[in-house]
Amino acid sequence: MTGSSLINRLIESLRCLPSVGPKSAQRMAYHLLEHNRQGASQLAHDLLEAIEQIGNCEQCRTLSEKTVCDICNNRGRDQSVICVVESPADVQVIEQVAGYRGVYFVLMGHLSPLDGVGPIELGLDILAKKLDAGIITELILATNPTVEGEATAYYIAEMASTRGIKATRIAHGVPIGGELEYVNSTTLSHAFNGRVEL
Amino acid sequence: MMSGPCTALVTAMISSHKVNLELAYILHSRPYRDTSLLVDIFSRTHGRIGAVAKGAKQAKSKFNGLLQPFGLLMLSWSGKGDLMTLTDAEQPQAALDINGSQLISGFYLNELLTRLLQRHDPHQILFDIYHETLCILVKDEHLEAVLRRFEFYLLQETGYGLVLDHDVETGEAIQTEACYCYYIERGPVKIDKTSDQQQGVLINGQTLLAIKDGSLVEALHLKQAKQLMRAVIAHQLGDKPLRSRELAMQKVL
Ligand SMILES: [Zn+2]
Repeated sequence: MTGSSLINRLIESLRCLPSVGPKSAQRMAYHLLEHNRQGASQLAHDLLEAIEQIGNCEQCRTLSEKTVCDICNNRGRDQSVICVVESPADVQVIEQVAGYRGVYFVLMGHLSPLDGVGPIELGLDILAKKLDAGIITELILATNPTVEGEATAYYIAEMASTRGIKATRIAHGVPIGGELEYVNSTTLSHAFNGRVEL
Repeated sequence: MMSGPCTALVTAMISSHKVNLELAYILHSRPYRDTSLLVDIFSRTHGRIGAVAKGAKQAKSKFNGLLQPFGLLMLSWSGKGDLMTLTDAEQPQAALDINGSQLISGFYLNELLTRLLQRHDPHQILFDIYHETLCILVKDEHLEAVLRRFEFYLLQETGYGLVLDHDVETGEAIQTEACYCYYIERGPVKIDKTSDQQQGVLINGQTLLAIKDGSLVEALHLKQAKQLMRAVIAHQLGDKPLRSRELAMQKVL
């Protein structure tokens, strides 16, 4: 360990990254300084720029450097169907696999009264305005299958139902390739409730 | 007589707890570091416990998917001080199928427990009432009465029990036909139906007795009971209101 306070500060800063403990932070810092100063400089530059320029799409709240993100701005997408998700990462996942052609609304979390997260913190007032505008015909609720995710889906479904808008919930259940014996009972009960006729 | 080192060993064993498969519910969990969870546990014999469940968010974790509110669990933990380490979790029975507005009521119960119970204070009776309340909640029957019953026991078990059987000024038994003003931290005082607005909650004698007997049925009684509980609980909670009430669409909380 050197006594250099700047190095120690860098190591400490790197620990804000997920999955980075003191050991790996130290490895990263030495790697960048010893072998890849150019990469480090690019990283510093990109980080600063991203922090300054990336905000939230004013339509769907996902992370975006534009006022309105590319998905919301895409005329080829069905603006009358909104898929509600908890995080921008969920948008990425659905975009990659599902062949979904509607737009999104990103909550940036879920209802969690014990953490002080209520409807306003999730931007549900913005969603309510969208629903009131009369363009939306269907909400697809793709929040996580946790109790908070379920409560959030229920709350938004009620918002839709009072306005006569259809709300659907994505199915949750047994993972493909999984064995029933190893699935916990909550998952299994979801799978049972969401069963479909063959 | 115990010798010195032996006493020290015993003390160490007491302060460093090991609890094995104890009946418990998760009141709340939140992410901790990358893969772990911090859980707020309501256990039957040890009361409210804070614990860390290491690696609980990893797909292969034995805790994966189990550490959610509203499912009866058997939990093992060890450690000392305010933060225990969860070592094992089992689900002794099928998880409750709790949905929709039931979840909101459930959050309300959990918020009350986390706000009003001190850590490490055992509350066995309350634990059993909580368990029963959840079981009735999922049947969607007598929802309001069930919530009021829970609140009644919660207040009683945390030392703020309501006075429901006598007038605190005269000492006379509560009369079904009389009208009372319930002063928080004191109790009910009989009033004239014509008297001015009082600094308390107006409530019928019949409602007071129905809360006591757990026989709230009529709409007026339910409404008055809710007003009373709200006022008393708000008094205990201080300035920070309950967030779960914001989510209630059925006005039952
Ligand atoms: Zn957008």
